[in-house]
Amino acid sequence: MKHISLLILAVLSLQFVDAQTQDSTQVYKKRVLETTEVDFLSSYYTQDGDNAAVSGGIGTEELTDVTATFIVSIPLNDDDVLTIDAGVSAYTSASSSNVGAFDGDSPADPFVASSGASESDLWTNLTGAYSHSSDDRNDIWSAKISVSAEYDYFSLGVGGSYSKLFNEKNTEISINGNVYVDTWNALYPTELRPFADGGNGLSSNLFTQNTIIGNTNYNPDFTTFDNEGRNTYALGFGFSQILSKKLQGSFVIDLVQQDGLLSTPFQRVYFSDIADSFIENFQLADDIERLPDSRLKIAVGGRLNYYINETFVVRTFYRYYTDDWGIKSHTASVEVPIKISDKFTLYPSYRFYNQTAADYFDVYEGHLSTDEFYTSDYDLSKYSANQFSFGASYTDIFTKFHIWKLGLKSIDLKYTQYDRDNTLSANIITAGFKFIMD
Amino acid sequence: MIKRIVLLIAVLTLSTSCVVVKEYEKVNLSDPDMVLADRKTDRNITTAHSYREAASGANGGKTGGGCGCN
Repeated sequence: MKHISLLILAVLSLQFVDAQTQDSTQVYKKRVLETTEVDFLSSYYTQDGDNAAVSGGIGTEELTDVTATFIVSIPLNDDDVLTIDAGVSAYTSASSSNVGAFDGDSPADPFVASSGASESDLWTNLTGAYSHSSDDRNDIWSAKISVSAEYDYFSLGVGGSYSKLFNEKNTEISINGNVYVDTWNALYPTELRPFADGGNGLSSNLFTQNTIIGNTNYNPDFTTFDNEGRNTYALGFGFSQILSKKLQGSFVIDLVQQDGLLSTPFQRVYFSDIADSFIENFQLADDIERLPDSRLKIAVGGRLNYYINETFVVRTFYRYYTDDWGIKSHTASVEVPIKISDKFTLYPSYRFYNQTAADYFDVYEGHLSTDEFYTSDYDLSKYSANQFSFGASYTDIFTKFHIWKLGLKSIDLKYTQYDRDNTLSANIITAGFKFIMD
Repeated sequence: MIKRIVLLIAVLTLSTSCVVVKEYEKVNLSDPDMVLADRKTDRNITTAHSYREAASGANGGKTGGGCGCN
């Protein structure tokens, strides 16, 4: 009897200890995010080329863009994180200035920027995201809402995702969905506007104050878009797997369906079967690009990262893309981070990209007016691109430098050179600063 | 195409039983450079790609919507 009592006492004691351990685990479980983090990201982007879509495939593509973004991640409790992402992007563009090519001080020319109102614009974005992790950190839910606006475009987006980790956190599967409800405030090339319904054609000020040369009987068959909405439905699946103590990979599929106004309303097209008309050096549009009102995109990508040793890591990425506009694309990149000390890491990388042309693309004056769909946007043409980047990162895990209550944890700087084989080239300088709250 | 994707998923799924790396063995995998995603500071570069290139998606960047781009 005494032994039985001792046995019961021992079992109860073990259960008590086990319960205490479980309670302790719950009480002292590691927080998903220990403290508030603030990221400041900025970039300076310049590009140039000779195939501006605004002027029908000829003309300067000169563009400069400056972007600044704050990302604030706030732990609400052990399991939940709120992230606020606010960004602004300001650009000046020679080609978009030529939406109104005739309002500058110098003679209109597709290779010269106009000084008109369409020369610059501002894109602003605000995104709020909330994520919740289960106690064992094997289930993660998130939801987000976003709003963004620029002068001729407005977007509302909602999305959510779910991730499941298993196999001792060696395997992760995820699913995510996003919906964007966007609206254009369509801007058309200035010379076409008088030919829309209710316009006064050649009697408008543009034509009475300027002289048409070439075909003086300029009379484009122009109609505006009835529907200025664009909806995007995106569904993504992810799978990642630890393959060894030094190797891990992931595989992602994204399916995207877009409906509505998928053309850019201010991009001109010139037809080969219509005589050319000019004001000064600028050819007057025969029409704007007309693209189908539906597009299905499929992207399949994979990453494989290998930890060589304390100095080198190899990061690789490959993506295959196809859509029902006839575009197929391959993207491959490799980056080799090199840790030169416990604080400094260098990031050399190379990226290759190519794509086939959309079924609806043709060069300047390559289309016929009888075609149903047409564009001379070289972003939809066949081309290859090479990109070289070099970055450097400084990390201070002790966050000695402070601004108010925020300790500087890392600084990232990167320079990127991007060259297409169809004259467009771009340079990007990016900088990122990460702070954590004391 | 779909068959290849299904086959790849099946191979990857089966590979999960090949090895299990314990938490205490993940020190190298936990290196920040081993993260299976673009670096946060690369976001604006990825966004530039989504403006200038027809392809998008499968890289954590924009897949469409949110801007008058792709």
